[in-house]
Amino acid sequence: MNLLKKSLSVLAVAAMAVSLAGCGGSSSSSKSTESGEKIFRFGQSNPKVGLDMQTNTNSGASSVADNVLEGLYCWNDDNKEECVLAKDMPEVSDDGLTYTITLKKGVKFSDGSDLTTEDVKYTFERMFTPATGCTNTYMYNMITGAQDMLDGKATELSGFETVDDYTFKLHIDYKFAPFVANLGMDYASIYPSDACAAAGENWGKGTNLIGTGPYVIKENDEQTKVVMVPNKKYHGKKPNLDRLEIVYIDDYSTKMMEYEQGNIDMCDLDTSLLDQYKDSDLKDEITQVTPLGTYFLSIKDNDPVLSNKAVREAISLAINRKELCSTVLNGAAEPASSFLNPGVPGHDDKLKTYEHNVKKAKQVLADAGISNPTFTCKVRQKEEKIATALQAYLKEAGITMNVETIDAGIWSSARAAGELQATVLGWFPLYADADNQMYTYYYSENAVGKGVFYNNPEFDSLMKEARESNDSDKRVELYKKADYILSREDYGTIPLYYGKLQFVAKPYVKNAKLGNLIYHLYNIDIDLSKK
Amino acid sequence: MTKYLLKRVLQAIGVVFCISLITFFVLNIVPGNPVEIMLGEFADQATIARVTHEMGLDQPIYIQYFSWLGNMLQGNFGTSYFQNKPVIDILTSSFLVTAKLAGIAYILAVVLGVVVGVVAAVNHGKWVDSVLMTISVFGISAPAFWIAIILQIVICLKFNLLPLSGIESFKSFILPGIALGTRYAASIARITRTSMLDVLSQDYIRTAEAKGLKGWVVTIKHALRNALIPIITIAGSDLGNILTGSVLVESVFSIPGIGKMLVDSINTRDLPIVQGGVMYIAVICVIMYLVVDLLYTVVDPRIRLGKESS
Repeated sequence: MNLLKKSLSVLAVAAMAVSLAGCGGSSSSSKSTESGEKIFRFGQSNPKVGLDMQTNTNSGASSVADNVLEGLYCWNDDNKEECVLAKDMPEVSDDGLTYTITLKKGVKFSDGSDLTTEDVKYTFERMFTPATGCTNTYMYNMITGAQDMLDGKATELSGFETVDDYTFKLHIDYKFAPFVANLGMDYASIYPSDACAAAGENWGKGTNLIGTGPYVIKENDEQTKVVMVPNKKYHGKKPNLDRLEIVYIDDYSTKMMEYEQGNIDMCDLDTSLLDQYKDSDLKDEITQVTPLGTYFLSIKDNDPVLSNKAVREAISLAINRKELCSTVLNGAAEPASSFLNPGVPGHDDKLKTYEHNVKKAKQVLADAGISNPTFTCKVRQKEEKIATALQAYLKEAGITMNVETIDAGIWSSARAAGELQATVLGWFPLYADADNQMYTYYYSENAVGKGVFYNNPEFDSLMKEARESNDSDKRVELYKKADYILSREDYGTIPLYYGKLQFVAKPYVKNAKLGNLIYHLYNIDIDLSKK
Repeated sequence: MTKYLLKRVLQAIGVVFCISLITFFVLNIVPGNPVEIMLGEFADQATIARVTHEMGLDQPIYIQYFSWLGNMLQGNFGTSYFQNKPVIDILTSSFLVTAKLAGIAYILAVVLGVVVGVVAAVNHGKWVDSVLMTISVFGISAPAFWIAIILQIVICLKFNLLPLSGIESFKSFILPGIALGTRYAASIARITRTSMLDVLSQDYIRTAEAKGLKGWVVTIKHALRNALIPIITIAGSDLGNILTGSVLVESVFSIPGIGKMLVDSINTRDLPIVQGGVMYIAVICVIMYLVVDLLYTVVDPRIRLGKESS
């Protein structure tokens, strides 16, 4: 019996030890109930990638970091680019290869240091230093000397010319009209040289993130929430909130229950839950927005079956996009009229939604002497429902589309290797520029890496001309032509719909805005009279 | 006994080594390029190739394996591709959270399971026995994530008694603990009942009753003590299972524990975390089964003697 006692004691001690081991380090509740304080809590998934925007591409991380960091330019709520740390939009040389930028004077980082060209130079040189592990260099490596730094041949960026403390020039290797647009991305947020260098590998972790933005990070356990308070040295209008909390909740349903309980003031509403909430008591708190992307049937254009334009046209004709949007997608989408999203300059607003005509689809196939074309569409689980609906539409027109659902990681590699006959996905430009939406996917060189192998010299020529032109009107016309060739003449892609996103916000939340997939929380205010 | 102990420890080391081999190679064979996922959809092939090289992922797989194994034996599990933090730090912080959850679930499972099992056995054949065993079947059958959602809706949403998610306070772990521990409590209850019924029919129990001992003394001191051996066996292995099987409950309650971290890392192909996490689970399971085996030889000398004589 003594042995039994000992055995039981061992198990009991093990249980207690395990339990106690987890008791350390729990954060205490920081909820303030002081009246009059403007406290805003936003629920989102944990990006788990840190907040250094040079080393990740996560929109969830952007939604946090954008409250602290600022770049030379930014993309506002209406997807227009505007000046932030730069005094004006850059002066571009006649040859389009030199950009002269002047910084605003009197701007300080939240640690009290002044913003100067040295910080901008440090930021770009850090970006191209291999040890940084920057994930976004492809957006800026046209700056002269960037490739040498990436190759380890140089430690200074030769294309960065310091004029004085507030003015500098960026020299680029080739004409690239979207360069200014790229500077507006948060991947080019300006870091304070001394503080960032001192933080080293810890930059972007915990509270090690300092910027010129309206808020500073007060707490960040990287697991459950980030707490921000106003930056007292902010150069712009005084921040509206006394406290901004980002609460990490990954599960969609749990997040909505937290919202219903009033534990968070705003969060995204996943489309899968829209049906559940659109007619509920919360219906007036739902805001729907259309981001810049397009969902489409991505087709391998050199596939033996799908290389025939008649098959691609028949596929397009067979799909009832309006019905797809209203039923399968619960109304959270608009039927597509071309590959370019309507919010992207270059989209032709005169184009109507694609025709749905099963009879005509059959006729197109018959005229081409094709019967029962068969192909396989491999999709990730999140697109399975759409693919299944497409399968049914195509069947009506005598087209067999087999649907296979595969793991996201496998899908990614298979697509890059050109192994997918067809797939369904959404392609979202990082900002409102057709180059970012169309060149990145369908320009012949990029189309190989995306597994679609679209190759039309006329389309390529238009895309190339547009990215080299600094004339915005001319660019719009060039993109209209290119989009028409891709989407309507060649049926190189089968655009399906422009998806919508939803978020919920309490009635007392003011200025709740979702930019292009990134929540702009820095403008949010609380109407205490409604709370 | 020393020889047996040594043999079991060597077996455990062999198992862990084999698991490390299988884990590494299987994960590296599975399609899905972590660099492509990490860089996002817009990255060009040149950037993908450069980062692949910088991360050493273009080296032959056997070199990657021995490098990983060598580092791991020195306590270095590598660096997460996405979080850019040492894997050991990530595993440690996740383990502390899971340990807290598992501890609560385990205490609930053992205490509730044993009490219910004893009450059912003592009331064998009566309505109390039937009700408790019906509930235990329900507890074993109901998936943990379903119990979790029901608890959230009833306890949190309707009555607002406990937190819905997170790990801010001890209260945050109560519902996840119940959701996770219910299945194991039901399982222990059934084992306890069966074991108790076996013991209660023994002659020495009748002798104790004939001596005029009080009912609870007979039940607790004489019957339960002798019924504990199978309970200890299952309770020991359950601790390992609870520590490593909390992924669904962690997901529903947004608890950043080791299970959720592993699933997220598998989806993003964050191989250092997956490899480190699987090794963690393997080591926990091997240790728990080793402890149970050793305990078993301690409480039941027949096993030890059998081993030694063979």
